[in-house]
Parts: sequence; C-alpha cells; structure tokens
Amino acid sequence: MKRFRKWLRAEPRHTSLPEKLHSEDDENVELTMDLNQNERTFRDIFKNCFDINFRKISLAGQERQLVIFIASLVNEEIIDDHILHPMLVNGIDKEAENEQYDAEALDNSVISAGSTKRSSNVNEIVRQLLDGHAAILTGSDNKAVLVKANGIKQRSLEEPSSEPVIRGPRDGFIESLSTNVGLLRGRLKTSRLKTEAVTIGSLSQTQVVLTYITGIASEALIDEVRERVKRIRIDAILDSGYIEEFIEDLPYSPFPQVHNTERPDVVTGELLEGKIAILVDNSPIALIVPMTFWTGLQASEDYYVRWPIATFVRWIRFLFLFIAIFAPSLYVAVTTFHQEMIPTNLVLSIASSREAVPFPALFEALSMEIVFEALREAGIRLPKQIGQAISIVGALVIGQAAVQAGIISAPVVIIVSITGIATFAIPRYSFASGVRLLRFPILFLAGTLGLYGIVLGFLCIVLHVASLRSFGVPYLTPLGPVTVTSLKDVLIRVPVWARGKRPGAAGTSDSVRVPAGQKPSPFREDRERN
Amino acid sequence: MKPFLRICLILSILLTSGCWDRTEINDLAFITGTAFDLTEKGEYLLSLQFAVPTSSDGGGTGEPQQKFFVLSATGKNANEAFEKIQKKNSRKLFTAHRSVILIGESLGRHGINDVLDVFSHDPRQRLKTYIMVVKGGEAQEVLQTRYPFDQVPMEAVKEMEIQRAEIATSLRDFFLAASSPGVYPMMGVIEAVSEGSNPSNKTNMFKLSGAAVFKDLKLVGLLDGFEADGLNWANSHMKDGRINAELPEGIGNVGMVVVRASRMIKSDLRGDRIHFKIILHGKGTLIENNTDLDVSVPKNLTLVQHALEKSAEKQIHNAILKLQKQFKADAIGLGRELYRNKPTEWKAVQKEWDQKFAEAEVTVDVKLTIGGAGMAGPPLQLNAEEILK
Repeated sequence: MKRFRKWLRAEPRHTSLPEKLHSEDDENVELTMDLNQNERTFRDIFKNCFDINFRKISLAGQERQLVIFIASLVNEEIIDDHILHPMLVNGIDKEAENEQYDAEALDNSVISAGSTKRSSNVNEIVRQLLDGHAAILTGSDNKAVLVKANGIKQRSLEEPSSEPVIRGPRDGFIESLSTNVGLLRGRLKTSRLKTEAVTIGSLSQTQVVLTYITGIASEALIDEVRERVKRIRIDAILDSGYIEEFIEDLPYSPFPQVHNTERPDVVTGELLEGKIAILVDNSPIALIVPMTFWTGLQASEDYYVRWPIATFVRWIRFLFLFIAIFAPSLYVAVTTFHQEMIPTNLVLSIASSREAVPFPALFEALSMEIVFEALREAGIRLPKQIGQAISIVGALVIGQAAVQAGIISAPVVIIVSITGIATFAIPRYSFASGVRLLRFPILFLAGTLGLYGIVLGFLCIVLHVASLRSFGVPYLTPLGPVTVTSLKDVLIRVPVWARGKRPGAAGTSDSVRVPAGQKPSPFREDRERN
Repeated sequence: MKPFLRICLILSILLTSGCWDRTEINDLAFITGTAFDLTEKGEYLLSLQFAVPTSSDGGGTGEPQQKFFVLSATGKNANEAFEKIQKKNSRKLFTAHRSVILIGESLGRHGINDVLDVFSHDPRQRLKTYIMVVKGGEAQEVLQTRYPFDQVPMEAVKEMEIQRAEIATSLRDFFLAASSPGVYPMMGVIEAVSEGSNPSNKTNMFKLSGAAVFKDLKLVGLLDGFEADGLNWANSHMKDGRINAELPEGIGNVGMVVVRASRMIKSDLRGDRIHFKIILHGKGTLIENNTDLDVSVPKNLTLVQHALEKSAEKQIHNAILKLQKQFKADAIGLGRELYRNKPTEWKAVQKEWDQKFAEAEVTVDVKLTIGGAGMAGPPLQLNAEEILK
C-alpha cells in the first residue's frame, strides 16, 4: 500500500516539462517602435508554422501596418471585412493627410470588430494569437491592437447522445466553451450568473470556467472549488475528465464525486440548487459539484414529466440499483449455501436446469458477467455499422447457445440479463459504472461466504458511502444527515408548485424557489371573492 | 493502523468465519417426504422420497422420466436408518424441503416417541413440516403413489393440508399440543386409495380421511372425515367449511359455506361435574337450496339458519362424544381452557383429567350468520306458483 502510494506520487526524474517551457519564455519582451524588428521577433517565434500569416499594408511605398494571424484559428471573413477593408479604405484617406494611425486610433476609429484590446507585451500577443486573435502592429506605435477573430469550425448543437430524453430540451453542449456558456446564459438571463475563467495547462492553455449564481451558491464552496481548480498544474487538458480527477475528494472510491453532464438544462437546474458548474473548453461535458448519491439516480427528465410518474420511476431506480449490485450475488449465495430458502418448486426447477452444468454457480455467474461486460464494451467502441453484429452474436452466445450446450444454466442467463438491464436503468453513466464495478467483489464474497458475505459487502458499501464527501457535502445528503425538507426531492419528486425552498446545500438569502400557495385547482367563485 | 495489518484482519474474516459448507444445488438430494413404519422385528423402517430434478423440455420423445423415487432402510432409530439411506445415495440428503412426514398406523399405535425426537434436535428440519398418520397399511405406500398433478406427490399432500379442509398438523403444532397441559395432539390422516372406473387401469391416489388422536404419543383412535370437520371447528382451526342440513317436514336440504368461524369456550364447575359450553360463531353464504323455499324471504332464511345450526351442533357434539366416551382423550383442549382460566380448579382435576373429561358435560352452541342467500332466492328452475313464500 505504501509503495503503491509512493509510486503514485513519484516525481519524474527529470525537470518536469511544463516548467522547462515556462523558463524559456521571457516574460518581459516588449514591442519596439520598429515595425521590421517586431516582424522579425514574431517570425522567429512562429518559425516552421505554416499557418501563420503576416499581412503587410503598405501605402505610398511605405510599410505602415502589419496584421498577424494564424489562419487555422481565425475566421478569414472577419479579417477581410473588419480589419483589412477598413484599414485600407481609411488608410487611403489618412494617406492624403499624410498621417499615420497609432494603436489607439486604429482601435477606436478603424477596426470594426467587436472585441479588441491593446498590448505591447510580446508574450501576451503570442498568447492571444494562439487563441484566435489577429494582431495589428503599426509602425508608429509600440503597441499592438488585438482583434478577436476566432473561427475554428465547430459542430452544430445536437441532442446529447449520452443523455437522451423523451420530454425536455434537446440541445447539448458542444466543444466550444463560448457556445456552452451561451447555452447557460440563454437559460438564466441574470447578471448573477457568474463565469469565472481560469487558464489551465502550460501547453494547452485551456480555458476552464466556473459558473455559479451569486446569492445561491455558498461563498465557501465557490472559494473551495476555485482553490482546487487553480491548484492544477498539467501540460494539457483534453477533457473535463482531467479536471474531475484533480478535484475529487476521494480518488480511490468507485463512486463519482463530481457530477458530469452533457445537458445545459441539467447544469442550470443544479446551479439553481446552489451548485457550481465547471465548463472546460474543448469538452462537451460539464462538471457539477458537489455531487450526492441521489444525483446519480436522477435523470433530467424526472423534472419534466408529471410528478407521480417521476416518483414511481425513482423508486424503480432504487430497486434496480439494488438489483444491479446484488442480484447475481444473491443467486449464487442462495443456490450454493441456502437452498432451504428457495420455495420447493423453484429449487427443483433450478436444480433441474443445473443438472448438466459442470461449473460451480460462482464460476458460472462470474464468467457470464464478464462476457456481458465485454459485450457492452465492444458495443460502445465498435463502429455503428458493426454494432449490430455484436448484438446478434452476443444474444446467441450468452443466450441460447450457452444454455443448450449445457455450459451455463438458464437461471444464470436470466439473472445476468436482469442485472444488465438494471445497470442500464441507472441514468448517470459514471455512477452506473461504479455500481457495475462493485458487483464483482460482492459476487466473490457471496460465492465464498454466502449471505453472510453479501451482508459484509453491503455493510462495507454503506460505510463507505456514508463517509464519503464531495466538496464538504456528505455523499448521502439529505438522507445521510437527515434534512427532512430536502427529502422531497430524493425519495419522491414533489410537484413543482410544492417545491418551496431550495435544498439545504445552498445557504443563502435567496432560498425560496417556488412561493407557496400555487397548488392548482379549478376556478371557484369564493376564491375570487376572498 | 498499518495497512498490512488491516489486510490481514479483513482476510481473517474471510478465512475464519462464514459458511465454508458450500454445496452446489445439483449435489443435493431433495427429500420431499418421509415415512416411518414399524417392521415385524420391531425396528423402524424409514422411507424417503426424493425429487428427481428433470428439465421439462427434456427431449420430447421417449418415456416421461420418473419425477421421484423412494429409498428405504431399517434401523434402531431414525438416525441409523438415515445413515443407511445416505450410503445408497450419491448426493447429500437435504431435509429442508421436506413437506410431509408420514407415520404408519401400526407405528402410531406402538408409539412415536423414538422417531419424533430427531425432528426437534436437528436444526436442518423444518417445524413447518406436516405430520400425518397413514390409515391402514404402511406409510411408505403413500410415498410410492404417483400423483398426476404435482411434480412430486408429497407437494400435493402439502397443498391439500394447506387448504385446511381437514385437520392439518405441523410438527410445531404437534409438539406444542403434546407438551402443553390439558390437551392431546391430533394429526391429519391420509389414506392410499385407487380411483377410476376401469379396474385394470386404476390410478393410485391418496385422500385425506379424518384425524388421529394421540395420547402419550400413542395413537388411540381415528376419527372419520365428518367427525374431523366438526372437531376442526371446535378447535378453531377451521378456515372454511361446509354445512349441510335437512329441513324439517321433508321439504328438502340446504347447504352453506362458512368463511369465517370463531370459537369460545365457557367452563362451569358445578360440584363434581364440569360443564363446558362451546360457542361457535360462523359467517357464510348459502350456496345450495334444494327446497321450494324462497330464501330471500327473512322468515324462510331463519328457518334454514336454524336447521343448519342444529345440523352443525349435532355433528360437532357427536365428534366430542366420541372423544369423551371412546378415546377418553381431550383433543380439543377443554382442559387447557380450564388451565388458563381457572388454574386452581385445574390443579384439583389435573391428575384425573382423562376421567373427568369423559364425564364432563359438553354443550355445543352454534350461531350462524348467513350473509347472503346466493344469487337467487328460490331455485331458478321452479316457476312462480311452485315457490313457497
């Protein structure tokens, strides 16, 4: 254990890559008044980059301005229409007056793009160039105008493939951070929705945005999340999954402590309950903290369908959660240790189906579970065209053929299928994966110790879950430490008009969500009179 | 705590505790029924019926597989015989699914003390198992019977007992009655019979036929089905029962189903004789009316009700008389009633209870509530003029 930890924490032998790069950069290089020298500086920095463009504007045989941009990052239409065109048109006028623009004049009265800034620091300019800005250097100033001209092609908004709904909004996050933030802003038109940006990754310079609603999210929580995110030091962030692993409370737990979603409406709902979302550029998955056990069992659609149905579905999920963890283990334990617990007719039919099977029940169940996992994994990774083949082969192999060949008994196939269905009934994929993982140790315990083993395993799970915390919030809240008022969104899903106050996690002034007294009822005259 | 120590402790849970007696389900021989008989040499003959797990879709062609088989062995006690049967069987004998224990009539009369104890000592026995006496002949004959309905014949017996059409006694009931003061245990009685009109191809069946009364763990007498029904009610064991009655003046007969029944016993000590009054309440519906009466008329219904009450009283009273005079065994627990409510009086009569019971005066009072006259008042096949209002 110690060695394992040591190995996990081991420092690389060489100086870490990010720091080396960092030291190469000279922070304080400033632009000069000499346009040619500035050009040389940038040409040097972007040596061997085919997509860097230097567009010189010379009027009357004199080089006056230099526009630098990275063609693969910008939208050239913006460059043409809002930078080059106004500069050339206005430049001719100025030429007549024999004047030259300095950076401020350019910025204020020539450039027609929306987002601009000025800088004289070479490093800053390089950073902005890499972020899709165009830099305009002028011979009469040591400052450059930076114009935002981002234009990476993005896919369009699509229905989130990992969290489909029958009823509810169908837009999902995409890989563009600004689009994603826009999706949230479109839902919460308030200035209280804050979007704090942090740049992480020495090479990737990935923008990570913390969003929350001031007055609803607690300040302590915001500070904690900000602290944890800012602590991250890494070369590149490729997906929000990287961030999740850095900020979670207990990395050894099978249960996810950071909630992730592809749906802007889920993020909005959680923000309204005082949680904090973390959006990461280039990732369509948003992170939400803190997470509780129950979020793992809630789907966004719960809030869009009528409440009795949602409540019923929630209880079905509790049942299936139990089945997903314990069904194969219970079967193994009962058939190998506690045969007296099965009704006589059932025990006889199980016995008859096991007559020809050569393996112990534990081995049967374990192997079928593993085959099922393989099928599931193969089904996800395979191209869609081949996917069908897998399901046909799977149904044949783990279904009929195995039973007919007398290798596997029919009840085990049924149990494994039910367990499979049960894990798919858990709406959050990351939570379901954790549950899937737990099944195997419990199965092993059941096969060696019987029901006693299952009880041991169950106790371990309960102890673990009860002690788990996500950003200071107990994982079982509001059932762990009981908060009666918050239970209305856990064990049942109360009607929207009965929602009342925000759940206890948010400790703030703005606690009422739905004012009381809105229960719908048919129109009555006496009500009108009162 | 050091991690190594922690791992050791967790491992020790796995290694030192729990059920290491793992047995696959197909290494077990499921006993569904047990029969005890007495051999001529005075040894016990133990027969066990095993279920043969067969798949229902086994091939389709060929003869249907036998669904059970019976193994027997003799021994000085149950354990010895059990051991002998285990040696004949490739799988481990598994008693937890046994549903019925059968006692041969001859063994019953000899005394069942020696075979009973094994059921209370061994934890792998179920006290919910029904215990019955086989009337006439050997108990193992019933085990051998092929019953067409259930996979295993003894399951059918269990189902019959669960219906509680007659006296059904589980091991638990039997032990309770045998060990408590003022009551003698009864058991259900089963009988092997053959059914069918074709004499060459008769089906072997079994039927419930009455009750057996035990006294000091010895069978003292058998009651027939009619009598047992009455006692069942007097014992407040009845789940549902049927009463039939002949109406006075030969108008015809009626029948009812009692769905709810209760019992109350009042005791009264007048000098030397003890007087018991058994009050039975029953609620049910009329299901048969072979008279010309319109039973939807209250007057007629009262007439029918009185006739039914009389009939039930007579049935129960006759059964009790048989217990009193013939067997001198208090199987309905009148003594227990006395023991509970009048302990000092009970102490006085406790020693000679059998005699006192035989002499006691028992009156039975049945009160019926007919909840409904069925779907029609008068029989539908009669025309209006024939009906007596």
